[in-house]
Amino acid sequence: MKMTPLAVVIGSVLILFTVVFVVVVLPFAHTSKTQPSEIFRSRTDLEAAGRQLYIANGCVYCHTQSIRTIDWGLGAERIAQAGDYVVDQPILLGSQRTGPDLSQEGGEHPDDWHIAHFMNPRFTRPLSLMPAFGFLKEADLKPLTQYVQSLGLKDADHRMARQVHWKTEAIKAYEAGPDANVRWLSENIPQGWRDLPNPYPTSEAGLARGHKIYQDFCLGCHGPVGDGMGPAQPWIYPPPLNFTILKNREISGGILYYQIMNGITGTAMPYFKRELESEKIWDVGNYVAVYFIDQSDANAEPRGIDAAYEPKEESAK
Amino acid sequence: MLIQEQTRQTEKIGNDQLPRDKGRLTYATAKAFCLTSALWMTVATFYGLLGATELIAPDITENIGGVVFGRVRPIHVNLVLFGFVTPGLLGAAFYFIPRLLVTNLYSERMGLFTALLWNLALVALVVTLSMGLTQGREYAELVWPIDVAIVAAFGLVFFNFIMTVKQRQEPILYVSVWYVLAAAILTACTYALGNVVWRPNSGALVGIPDAILLWFYGHNIFGLLLTPLSAGVAYYVIPRVTRNPLYSHTLSLLGFWALIVVYTHIGTHHLLQVPVPTWLKVVAIVDSIAMVIPVMAFLINIWYTAKGKLGEIHADIGGKFVFTGTIMYFFVSIQGSLMALPDVQRVTHFNNWVIAHSHIGVLGFAGMIALGGIYYVIPQITGRPLFSRFLADFQYWMVLIGMVGFTIVLTIAGLIQGNSWLNGETVYRVLAEIHVYYVVRAGLGLLIFTSALLGLYNIVRSMWAGSGAPS
Repeated sequence: MKMTPLAVVIGSVLILFTVVFVVVVLPFAHTSKTQPSEIFRSRTDLEAAGRQLYIANGCVYCHTQSIRTIDWGLGAERIAQAGDYVVDQPILLGSQRTGPDLSQEGGEHPDDWHIAHFMNPRFTRPLSLMPAFGFLKEADLKPLTQYVQSLGLKDADHRMARQVHWKTEAIKAYEAGPDANVRWLSENIPQGWRDLPNPYPTSEAGLARGHKIYQDFCLGCHGPVGDGMGPAQPWIYPPPLNFTILKNREISGGILYYQIMNGITGTAMPYFKRELESEKIWDVGNYVAVYFIDQSDANAEPRGIDAAYEPKEESAK
Repeated sequence: MLIQEQTRQTEKIGNDQLPRDKGRLTYATAKAFCLTSALWMTVATFYGLLGATELIAPDITENIGGVVFGRVRPIHVNLVLFGFVTPGLLGAAFYFIPRLLVTNLYSERMGLFTALLWNLALVALVVTLSMGLTQGREYAELVWPIDVAIVAAFGLVFFNFIMTVKQRQEPILYVSVWYVLAAAILTACTYALGNVVWRPNSGALVGIPDAILLWFYGHNIFGLLLTPLSAGVAYYVIPRVTRNPLYSHTLSLLGFWALIVVYTHIGTHHLLQVPVPTWLKVVAIVDSIAMVIPVMAFLINIWYTAKGKLGEIHADIGGKFVFTGTIMYFFVSIQGSLMALPDVQRVTHFNNWVIAHSHIGVLGFAGMIALGGIYYVIPQITGRPLFSRFLADFQYWMVLIGMVGFTIVLTIAGLIQGNSWLNGETVYRVLAEIHVYYVVRAGLGLLIFTSALLGLYNIVRSMWAGSGAPS
């Protein structure tokens, strides 16, 4: 084959155009007619403005919006469909998950959690390596938060309505004083959990594990001494619970477990059942009970057959 | 006919003649692009180091909006692609294209203007992305005026080269010339297409079609820009350094056409886990595997050309960089083909495995060859040896260790992430597990940044040294 300039230039350009027809134009004919999915709704102006800030600050480089069939984490309740993206220009699928996927982030937390998190992500998530966005003006933080709260569209709206409802209730209870607040918190837990003591005895190893979990997940809001004065506290309302007031208020191991597992929707307290397995939740609950409440029911009656690995009975605190 | 042509070509490359015109501007464009590359390599690797540092100490730049990670990363990526690697490869091309065609560059003035435009676009790139002016699409972030400037720059490069071809004294076009011509014209086309230049405000399509177009374009930055330019440099430098004729004209042809046909099909392998048409995924996977054809055609050709002459390659720092680049090309390409398999991607997608892969490709392959091109070309242009062969060698080892180290730690981090996620651990839980690898990565980043500083010093001194140079 004689490679004349014409052969090289025209030949390669013709190949390119042919390939563009096959891998860009043909799929376009098909995918540009995608119908909106059942969760789709259009964005408000504020949410659209927030999306521009999301783009401007490069959030897309660490957060995907692309839930796959193999995913377990945040948002995995819904596999992404082409119809979820029908107005996205540009589409923000992302290519790396340095942070969690945000397809369904809307309504996972109330707004105040997001503000604290934007001020410095380590305020609410001590191990996070996301940058602080305190440099954004308040006028920017609002639309950005609104955009994040809209992720998941109609699904997000459903969750947001739940957050708003329970925030009103939580604020009412908090403002009624500590007695009423603690009573309200406990009343919303199924009776079976309230009656349940921590089934594992207090042990040094268990407390050490609890300490580690507390530092990695809880410290930002509840503070290093459990008084609710962590760095996120100024941005959160109702404020993080002060554990040191809980003595003699009938806080069972089961109550602690349930609140950590399920979170308290409407408040900044997230659910941890995705992140922490059973033993870790019992351990951190007992750590809080032993060190901050100064009252633990670990291994109290009623108890079943001791697990094989449990240390020999010592009187729990 | 073929044999005849091939023999003539390889004679030419072993023995090409000096340009007749010894005017003031001889090879000024090549020099300008080499300097551009060396300079922006320092900035690009600094941004990489900064980003790597922010991943281990996020509050080190707390609340400085201009260097927030989400802005640092695209600046790093764009500067590496368009500031360091592409200009470095073009710097070599602006030298060897006139040599291979036994003529002068059509217009050194136009070439210098292109280099100036290029640098202005790079400054604008850093300023706009720092300010948060971005279109938010990977490799296509730049705002419309910069897009236009870059398309214009590629257009000027192509025009300059094609006019040089027109005035050539040598009738046969050597394989390096094919690659450079194709890279310039095809990138001008795909850059304009991928950046949706007909929509200045958004620079994007809507929904899934936007993702398909973006990754078609994104992958072609490697497939139709970095790879053909690097191949062009390798096809020039390796026969020159070894004084061997090129192994096979047929393999040159196969590699060239297969590259353009196959590489352009594979962008959708970035979207295998996304709701795009299944037939398109099949095309992307099949062609990703078929990439073995152009890759091995090129590598067999280069490696057989170098057969028995590794000593000569080792003795020439430019050749050493280029040859190492071809080895990295082997690894990155085979790895890339495997990564396009859906079962592999279940583990590797969305995590640091891919970052390791991109560093083998852009730094290990194209970056190494760009540096090799620069180090090969400078002594030819100046007529003097390099200012310091030792520094160049030192830089070679720093880049090699840095890049291989990157690959190791980021691949480990990626495997931890991918397998943990598959086991149901959340992204947050895994952060602590990969922290130590991020620390090592930042250390290796410092190594690479330092090597860029040494390289800049060496290249500047090599170009402007007075008479004589230290050994």
